[in-house]
Amino acid sequence: MAKRIAIVEDDPDQRANYRDAITKKGYEVVAYGSRREALERMDGNLPDLVILDIILGDEVDAGFQLCRELLFKSPSLPVIFLTERINEIDKISGLRLGAWDYLPKPISLDYLAERISSLLRINEVRAENAERGSSTARKIGYLTLDQDALLVSWKGERIDLSGTEFRMLAKLVRVPGHAVSYETLMNATMQSLVTNNTINTHMRNIRKKFERLDANFACIKSEYGFGYRWLPP
Amino acid sequence: MAAALARRLNPLRGPRIGTKLMLLSLTLLVVPWFSYRQLLEMERLLVQGQSQAQLLTAEGISTLFNGREDLFNDLPVTIEDYESLFAHPLEGNIRLDGRYDDWGERIEDRLLSFGPAASDDGAFQLLLGERAGQLHLFVQASDADIVYRDPEYLRLDNADHVRLSYIGSDGEDGRIGLVFAEPGVITAYAMDADWRFATTGTAEADVLGFVEVGESGWSMEFRLPLDRLGSRRYFGVSIADVDDPVARAPLKLAQTLPKAGKESFNLIVLRSPEVLNIIQGLGYSGARILVVDAQQRVRAEAGTQLAEAAGPSRDKSTALGLIQRGFEAIRPVLHRFSTFESLEAERGGGSAEYTAADIISATLAGRPAATRHRLGNQLEVIMAAHPIVSKDAVIGTVVVEQNIDDILSFQREALEQVILLSVAALTAVFAALLTFAGRLAWRIRQLRREASAAIDQHGRLRASALRSEIGSGDEIGDLARSFSNTLSKLHQHNHFLENMPRTLRHEINNPLNTLSTSLQNLAEESPGVQSSKYLASAKNGVIRIGSIVQNLSDAANLEESLKSEELEVVDIQKLLESYVANCAASHPECEFAFRGLREPAHAEVSDYRIEQLLDKIIDNAIDFHRTGSPITVQLDVQRDYLRITVANRGPILPDQLGKSVFDSMVSNRGPHNRLHFGLGLYVVRIIAEHHGGFVRALNLADNSGVAIMVQLPRTEVPEPRTEVPEPRLATDPEIEIRASAAPPARAAQAN
Repeated sequence: MAKRIAIVEDDPDQRANYRDAITKKGYEVVAYGSRREALERMDGNLPDLVILDIILGDEVDAGFQLCRELLFKSPSLPVIFLTERINEIDKISGLRLGAWDYLPKPISLDYLAERISSLLRINEVRAENAERGSSTARKIGYLTLDQDALLVSWKGERIDLSGTEFRMLAKLVRVPGHAVSYETLMNATMQSLVTNNTINTHMRNIRKKFERLDANFACIKSEYGFGYRWLPP
Repeated sequence: MAAALARRLNPLRGPRIGTKLMLLSLTLLVVPWFSYRQLLEMERLLVQGQSQAQLLTAEGISTLFNGREDLFNDLPVTIEDYESLFAHPLEGNIRLDGRYDDWGERIEDRLLSFGPAASDDGAFQLLLGERAGQLHLFVQASDADIVYRDPEYLRLDNADHVRLSYIGSDGEDGRIGLVFAEPGVITAYAMDADWRFATTGTAEADVLGFVEVGESGWSMEFRLPLDRLGSRRYFGVSIADVDDPVARAPLKLAQTLPKAGKESFNLIVLRSPEVLNIIQGLGYSGARILVVDAQQRVRAEAGTQLAEAAGPSRDKSTALGLIQRGFEAIRPVLHRFSTFESLEAERGGGSAEYTAADIISATLAGRPAATRHRLGNQLEVIMAAHPIVSKDAVIGTVVVEQNIDDILSFQREALEQVILLSVAALTAVFAALLTFAGRLAWRIRQLRREASAAIDQHGRLRASALRSEIGSGDEIGDLARSFSNTLSKLHQHNHFLENMPRTLRHEINNPLNTLSTSLQNLAEESPGVQSSKYLASAKNGVIRIGSIVQNLSDAANLEESLKSEELEVVDIQKLLESYVANCAASHPECEFAFRGLREPAHAEVSDYRIEQLLDKIIDNAIDFHRTGSPITVQLDVQRDYLRITVANRGPILPDQLGKSVFDSMVSNRGPHNRLHFGLGLYVVRIIAEHHGGFVRALNLADNSGVAIMVQLPRTEVPEPRTEVPEPRLATDPEIEIRASAAPPARAAQAN
């Protein structure tokens, strides 16, 4: 049975493009143009994954609101923000709401499809893991990385990372102690428009999430003018 | 350049508001000037009024005499034919003692001289007076050898004696000899025609006198009843001088009797009692009335004698006296300023006698006249005269003389008041203006300060409205409101401009996304298109537009996102070392040289913002460097600052670009480089300033290239605890001192 993807996007052209592209990948797609419509139609019939634009018509925060309402109904529902609002503050508030990923426009449709499938898979794996209690985790020092479930833990404690952050971290720790260039990290984000700044912002966010658990965390090191390095403690 | 010059010249451009108001307030000086002019005019009017009144008085009095020539004709009409002797009216009791000191003040001025030159033998001086029907005479004779009368001789002319000749009331010639046998009482005899013997054996009892003998002669005072002289009062005095006590021959005869061509008698001129009686009742306070006959003889006088220094006497030591003296001192100056002529000229220097004589002769010619003149230093009088007419002929004149002390003292008091009030008013106005000007200037300064603080040195708005003077109702308030309005409009506009990149990105990203996803769907749909170069270039275009919009909005959001940045203490030396090494690796086409320090140099920064800053500077240096020349990165430590210098050889900066190169959208790359918006160095400046530092671009000393210099505040960090502390002696003492004092830039940055 095909997974059902809901798209909420007020621009009809983009909405159609998404729908076409995702439908071609073999998903069942439902698309809505406004928050009200989306909320009414999804009520009691939640999709497997939701893609949200933040600005819907006149409501500038409609996406956030919708995300909150949907996650209230189903906390494990994967939500992707796909938006032109790429300010730090928006990104942070989106991820804090519990969204799984935050993708800026313009987007590569292939990448979007990949993200969708990856998130769906992760969701499945997580559900399975919850049932079986086992995982396919990889351990690097105190760090545990579960590629499939997109789960990270440090010294046994779980750290919530966004998809992009997870992939960057995974890239960084592939060969511990070896410097990873900005370019490599940019590829890891799998986004089309990435600057050093974007990488730096992500890295800082990752570092902060670790530091929240472990004040002495100092494994992510800047290689000024080149990139980053994972220094095993 | 011109603006800077203008700003430097600005304080010299003109006087301040306060000064201008002060200068303007000087026009208030016209008030005392005007008042003084008015006072002078008032004085003139009053004087005119008084002289009119006096003229009327004179006229009134003169009408009493009109037609009464009988009052005047007791004197020969042809007075020119006679040598007249004027008898002064005497007041008070007169003692016959041979001295005239009880005759009245300054009577000695009236002494008449006769005979040879003064002080020679035989010369004498004569004084006549009149009192209570008696004619008083005083004779002072110069005589070296006094010969007294010897009672042995019957002849009376063989000793010094005085002869009086007159025409008596009966019309007969009268001769009286006054002889003395010793100093003291004299004896008078009626004499025969030859002046040898007395006609009667007895002395004339109604002629009394006294002689006093001095070194140079003798003086005699005597009196005789005026009745003896009859109405015409023909009269003469002679002195017979005898010098030889043996021969006793009369040597010289000096006389008052006229010279040849005149009548043989003098006339005794007296005031007319009848006239005096008439005018006596008319005298009023402060005025003197004179009746003068056609021969310019004063026939009657009534009223107060005009006194010198009639001004009110004030205690000169009191404050009022001081003020008055002050006024006396400034009055001439004030007068000169007000009327452009000196006070003395205004007061007139003409002598009293002269004008009085003029007046009298003018009236005797038939015209009434009045004049104002000064007597002495303080006293000013108005003299008005009106002719007395009888049968179409002028028989005399009435002169009314009154001082104008009242007017002058009124004027003086008014002047004092004017000046006092003017000074008080000027002071008050000055104080008020000073306060007003000060307040005005303060308000304007306040406004200026706030207005110039509203925009920072990079032209960014700091405030969207003014707070001071907004509520004021006057023009400054209008200005403030207008400026505030302008500011808020500008703020709106700026806000619009600042949001522009964001709006632009929002507006562009959506269609761009449509375009991008459509292209992808198109490629998916028709596999033949996939390999088309047009699809590739379309995708390229999409990416380029996206990156442009991204850069723009990044730069626009830079300041905002910097605010959320957390700072940490970073070793800049290490950072630079690693950065330059990485640069060399990633830009193999360029040569990099790093001149660092031996010890760590800490600064509290956001490390990847510094990295971003370096990226932009290095990008810039790479773009402009001359191929083959190295790019030098240098780190210096100054007292409170770290200085990072990136220098490259290549084209130098044009002068006018020196400062603006760090502004947004300023680029020196020329038109061929379309992807550049001049945001790089702008980002550098914003980041440097965010860290409490600054950035400068300079041409190298030899003009071979450009150096970008970034200064960041330095932070001292204590030695890490994990390391073994180095011995105290080995540490730089200067650093020790600096570590104790927090760098000022850090403190500023804390908020």
